[in-house]
Amino acid sequence: MHPAIRRTLRSIRAIAHRDTLEQELDEELRLHVALEAQELQRVHNLSPDDARRRALVAFGGIERYKEAHRDARGVRWLDELHQDVRYAARALGRSPTFTASAIAVLALGIGACTAVFSVVDAVVISHLPYPHDERLVQIYERNSPTNQWPLSVADFMAIAQWQRTFSDVGLLRQARAPVSTGGEPQRVSVGYATSGFFRALGVTPVVGRGLGAADDAPGAQPVAVVTHRFAVEHLGGDAAAVGRPVDVDGVAYTVVGVLDRRYTNLAGRTGEVWPDARLKPPERRGPFGLVVIARLKDGLTMDDAARDLARVSRREFVVWQASFQDRDATLVPVSLRRVMLGDAPKTIVLFSAAVVLVMLIAVANVAGLMLVRAAGRWREVSLRAVLGATRARIARLLVTESILLALAGAAAGIALGIIGVRVMRVVGPQVARLGEAHVHVRAILFAVGLAVVAGIIIGAYPVLHLARGGAGDGVLGGERSVGGTRSTHALRAAFVVAEFALALPLLAAAALLLNSFVRLQRVNPGFDPAHVFTVSVSLPSGRYADDTAISTYWTRALNNVRTVPGVVAAGVADQLPLSGGNLDANNFDLLDRPVPTGTAQPVTPWTVVTADYFTALGVRLLDGRMFTPSDTGGPNPVVIVSRAWAHKYFPDGTAVGRKMISGGCTTCPPSTVVGVVSDVTYTNLGDVPQGAYEPLTQGWGRTLALVVRTKGDPAAAIPGVSAALRSVEPSVTLADATPMAERFSASIADPRHAASLVAGFALVAALLAAIGIFGTLSYTVSMRRREIGVRLALGARRQAVTGMIVRRGMAHAALGAALGLAAALVATRWLTSKLFEVSPADPLTLGGVIAGLLLVALAASWAPARRAAAIDPAEAIRAELAG
Amino acid sequence: MLSNDKVSPPDWITPMAERADLLQGTLDLLILKTLVLGPLHGWAISKRLRQLSDEVLDVGQGSLYPALYRLEDRGWIRAEWGTSPEAGGRRAKFYSLTADGRKQFAAERTQWRLFSTAVERVLKAT
Repeated sequence: MHPAIRRTLRSIRAIAHRDTLEQELDEELRLHVALEAQELQRVHNLSPDDARRRALVAFGGIERYKEAHRDARGVRWLDELHQDVRYAARALGRSPTFTASAIAVLALGIGACTAVFSVVDAVVISHLPYPHDERLVQIYERNSPTNQWPLSVADFMAIAQWQRTFSDVGLLRQARAPVSTGGEPQRVSVGYATSGFFRALGVTPVVGRGLGAADDAPGAQPVAVVTHRFAVEHLGGDAAAVGRPVDVDGVAYTVVGVLDRRYTNLAGRTGEVWPDARLKPPERRGPFGLVVIARLKDGLTMDDAARDLARVSRREFVVWQASFQDRDATLVPVSLRRVMLGDAPKTIVLFSAAVVLVMLIAVANVAGLMLVRAAGRWREVSLRAVLGATRARIARLLVTESILLALAGAAAGIALGIIGVRVMRVVGPQVARLGEAHVHVRAILFAVGLAVVAGIIIGAYPVLHLARGGAGDGVLGGERSVGGTRSTHALRAAFVVAEFALALPLLAAAALLLNSFVRLQRVNPGFDPAHVFTVSVSLPSGRYADDTAISTYWTRALNNVRTVPGVVAAGVADQLPLSGGNLDANNFDLLDRPVPTGTAQPVTPWTVVTADYFTALGVRLLDGRMFTPSDTGGPNPVVIVSRAWAHKYFPDGTAVGRKMISGGCTTCPPSTVVGVVSDVTYTNLGDVPQGAYEPLTQGWGRTLALVVRTKGDPAAAIPGVSAALRSVEPSVTLADATPMAERFSASIADPRHAASLVAGFALVAALLAAIGIFGTLSYTVSMRRREIGVRLALGARRQAVTGMIVRRGMAHAALGAALGLAAALVATRWLTSKLFEVSPADPLTLGGVIAGLLLVALAASWAPARRAAAIDPAEAIRAELAG
Repeated sequence: MLSNDKVSPPDWITPMAERADLLQGTLDLLILKTLVLGPLHGWAISKRLRQLSDEVLDVGQGSLYPALYRLEDRGWIRAEWGTSPEAGGRRAKFYSLTADGRKQFAAERTQWRLFSTAVERVLKAT
């Protein structure tokens, strides 16, 4: 047979019968060693054990021989990979405590990272669900770099008529309105839109048709598009929905199309029903508050659009000069992505920073554990080296082991991440598009990549040590001499210091956010939230078309409500405190100090209320008088202002009696300030609580908020009040009946969530740091048993031994905390905008955090220190001599 | 033959007679020689080499078995499983010379003699 053919056949046989060949080889070698031992025993009179040991050493390089053999078989790399993995798994299985704690620590780190990555992926990285979303803009009006507001119908029409840079421009007016498909009307989110809105976004219904240009025309048949969910819940499914009538706020629309199920919002605005916006020609420049979306033409830039809109602004200003004098107000395009993401990137950066710190601590922790373990295994590794395994091979084994560990951590971490994303979607802060976050393929790849990098870092030191030629030492000196080399000690200490240095900024951030949250909670909202509930009341449009009908309803309804048992007072307002961003505000001009023509007038939250509103809410009168039934507008309109307003515009305390023109209405009679009341926070707690009130005498809206003060539990009075409201008009729509205390807590939900999430990460970090110091000290104590034993034998006091170990731990912790403090002082400055009445360098908070962290370190050092003090000197020294 | 760098022998190994390292390529020749008289298993080959060289040549088994494999691969020796009396009847792999192996042995022996005579001459020269 030709040698080449023979070799090929052999290779095939080798692969096919790998196990048989391996067994035969093993058997042959075993026999050799047995015979050699037998000979040694006979010739040198050795014990069977000694003989066998010598035979093994004399044999030399079993591993190397086996490998040379496999090399010849040509299946080496596959074999070795398989072997490495099996060996690593076996080795890990032999120390279940180490393995379980390492996997748990890595899973925490990787899980947190995966969860946050998924959120980042959904919120920041992914595109908006519209074709070429980079060309979409929302147009605002802006009169200074910090002040911008949404548009009016007049603005929209001016843009639509004169712009040259957009392919489509659309308008959206958002509202919550009573909607009925035949049964009881329900208040749902509604988005009145022009056909251009859908065209600009590039959204077409999956069933039926979208709104067309013809639907925008005055006098066209009213039509609407609905979401998939609305079609399923109210109209019997997508196909059945088309052609069905939907009554929105008293107007009958015909459903012409159903949106794809992924569109629960459009351009970030939620809506169940999207009726065509039936625009009436404007009579003045305002009112503002409409969303205008536009799509840039191909090849044009934001700058082109900005110049084009500036030109439109100048042209429009001339047209409405009579009702709008702010010459600085200019239409500006803002990327829709930026509008929709809002504050999200900042929140996300905060969480990303937190999880990166947790991950680093986790890696440092496991690397520290690995060092301890590597020291314990040096003998085993050295023996393999002596038996002929090459260094590269041992290095690969060690790295395989750490990567295997990290991958197991990743598997557990991905599971944790999936749970984490769910938790974040429920309790996370209100971040745009968070609801779309899932652990996708990208996140899983991310987790696996992270695990591999972590595995390499974790396995790196033992391998580097090996490369420096340390492998052979173990056989000679045992673990004492190699486990405790100076560089290993230093490195282990460095890991502990790093863990504390990383944990401190995280704890500082959490403490600052919590501190800020506690202060926020203590903010006086300007009213007494206990024993108050609110409900939003909408009257059907058919019978309540004018002021008289609506005010008659409310006069009768309020009389009924006041007779409900438990009700102390009831008032009505067009908006409620703590409403967040969507707040009616009004511009005004003080007669004493008018602003120069052509500049912006001051703006303040503007609430229209009945006289009892203040009593019901618990707002105190500070100066002047409350509204009375005789305040009916007419030639002598009156306003009441808040304390902060009075303080800002009339610091000398003479607000009552001052006159102002509100809403830029130059032909209206000026209003007189008749009273000053305590400050009420209308936007968010922590914002400046200034505002003004106007009596509700005319211009009654069909949707108003009722505020009811009760004697006992406010929730208990809700059914009675609801019945009283319905007794006057059975088809009234009631929504959002909530105790004020709940609104109060909901208004600070975001800071609470941010603080608690960061606090969660910080606790994990502190725990990991504690585990790190505990593990290292425990190891130190076990390595220094003899030395400690000798000290005790020579008369050292046990307290001194305890002190020595604790001091060692505390020295690492203190150094870490000092480094961490330096980092925290730089990093927490970034938190300033998220903090309320707390300085990012608040000494009390930072001091508390350092004290807390050191206390944790002390607790973690205590157990190993006690163990050191409990060492029996005689036994320790004996064990050492025997070993 | 232990070629691990940095490993000093453990102290419980009694130093034996001075050992000589084998010249490259001579191991094959020596193995073939031990098999001329009849089939042997691996350990017996190494023992025979030690005996014949008065304990001077001690073939590390890390070299012996790869060499056996190499020779088998080239078709100079053949391996068969049999029982070994000195191991209490355990299964052992016996190696024997093939016809090719005998020819190879003869050729290599001639080569070696030529070579060693030449070296000897050089060393004797003054």
